[in-house]
Amino acid sequence: MAMAALRREGRRFAPLISPRPITAVRSSPIVPTHEYEGPIGVRHISTQVVRNRMKSVKNIQKITKAMKMVAASKLRAVQTKAENSRGLWQPFTALLGDLPSVDVKKNVVVTISSDKGLCGGINSTSVKISKGIYKLNSGPEKETKYVILGEKAKAQLIRDSKKDIELIITELQKNPLSYTQVSVLADEILKNVEYDALRIVFNKFHSVVSFVPTVSTVLSPEIVERESESGGKLGELDSYEVEGGETKGEILQNLAEFQFSCVMFNAVLENACSEQGARMSAMDSSSRNAGDMLDRLTLTYNRTRQASITTELIEIISGASALEG
Amino acid sequence: MTLNLCVLTPNRIFWDSKVKEIILSTNSGQIGILPNHAPIATAVDIGILRICLNDQWLTMALIGGFARIGNNEITILVNDAEKGSDIDPQEAQQALEIAEANLRKAEGKRQTIEANLALRRARTRVEAINVIS
Repeated sequence: MAMAALRREGRRFAPLISPRPITAVRSSPIVPTHEYEGPIGVRHISTQVVRNRMKSVKNIQKITKAMKMVAASKLRAVQTKAENSRGLWQPFTALLGDLPSVDVKKNVVVTISSDKGLCGGINSTSVKISKGIYKLNSGPEKETKYVILGEKAKAQLIRDSKKDIELIITELQKNPLSYTQVSVLADEILKNVEYDALRIVFNKFHSVVSFVPTVSTVLSPEIVERESESGGKLGELDSYEVEGGETKGEILQNLAEFQFSCVMFNAVLENACSEQGARMSAMDSSSRNAGDMLDRLTLTYNRTRQASITTELIEIISGASALEG
Repeated sequence: MTLNLCVLTPNRIFWDSKVKEIILSTNSGQIGILPNHAPIATAVDIGILRICLNDQWLTMALIGGFARIGNNEITILVNDAEKGSDIDPQEAQQALEIAEANLRKAEGKRQTIEANLALRRARTRVEAINVIS
C-alpha cells in the first residue's frame, strides 16, 4: 500500500515536471543549457548549476551592498564641502545675475560628469542637456563648443560631436577636490577657449534621492558691459562705483574669472555629491534585485532537489518491485 | 546703524555678523567703510581686514578676492582668510623667514613671482598678529 502510494506520488510529480516547468522557462535565458533528458522524458536542471548561480548572485549582492555603504560614506564627506561652497557664488548671482537667455555668438558648454560608472542615469541626463543647449544655440553666426570634465561624458560626446570638443579633462577626483585645483582648471579653460558665455551643466544635489540637472551661465566681461547698458539686473552694476585697479574693464575681467572659478568649484562638488547619491540608490536597488533573484533561485533549487529525490525514490522502488516480481 | 559683513571663502563661510566699521585693503590702498557708504565693487588685495565690533578691533588676513558694498551690506569673497587670533606667531614668523629666503634664492620669472606672492602672504599673516597687540 505504501508502495502504491509512493508510486502514485511519483506519477503525481512526473506530469508536473514533464511539460516545460515554469522555473526552467524563467531560468533558461540565464542558465546555460545543462538540461538533460531523463529516462521518463523529463527535463531536469541539475542542482549544481542552480547552486553555482545562487553563489554568484549572493556575491553580487554582497558587493553591491558594500558599494552602497562606500558611496554613503563618500557622500557624507563631500556633502559638507558642497554646502559650504554654495554660499560663494550667491553674491555673484546677486550682483551679475544668472541669465541663461542671453543671446551670444560664442557659447561654450562645460559638461561635468563622473569618471566611474554604476551611478544611475546622471551622466546621460547631463549629456542630453548639453546636446540640447547645443541645438538651441546653433544658428547662422553662432557656434557652440564643448569642454568635457569626466570620462563618461567624454565617451558619449566623442561619438557624435568630436569636432566641437575643445578640451577634455579626466581624473578629477583622484585627489580630494580643492579650490586651488579647480581654479587652475578654470584658468586653463579660460586661456584656451574663446567665449562669450560659458554654460556649466552639472547635477545639483538637492537630497539623497533628488539630483536636478542645472545650467549655470557665466558671461564674459564684454557681454556684461553690453547687457548692463540695456538695463535689467545687470543695469544695477553701473550704480556701483568700481575701485581697486586701473580700469573698470580690468576689474570686470578679474571678477568674471573669479566668478567662473567659484561657480565651477561649486558645480564640481555638487556633481560629485550627486554621483555618490545616485550610486547609492543604484547599488541599493541592485542589491534588492539580487535578493529577489536569490529568492526565486532558492525556490528553483528546492524544487529540483525534491524532484531528483523523487526520481531516485521511483527508480529504487520500481527496481525493488521489479526484483520482487 | 550697523553694517552686515559676510566674508566667504571657497571652503566655508568665514565671517557673518554685524559690525560698526571695517578697514579693507584694496589694490589702490586701504579704504574705510562706515555705515551708509556709497555702493562700490572693488578688488581686494593680499592684506589685512580690520573690523570694529563693539568697540573692539579684530584683524584678519585676507588673500585676494573681491568685495561688494551696497546699502549697508558688505560681501567679501576671498581665496583664503585667517583670523588674527588663529595664527600662531612663531609659525607665522618662521613662514615669513622661509618666504624671504625663497625670494632671495628664486631664479627665473615664475619662481620670483611665486616667491613674491608667498612673501606677501607671510607678511600679511605676521602683520595680522601684530596689529592686535
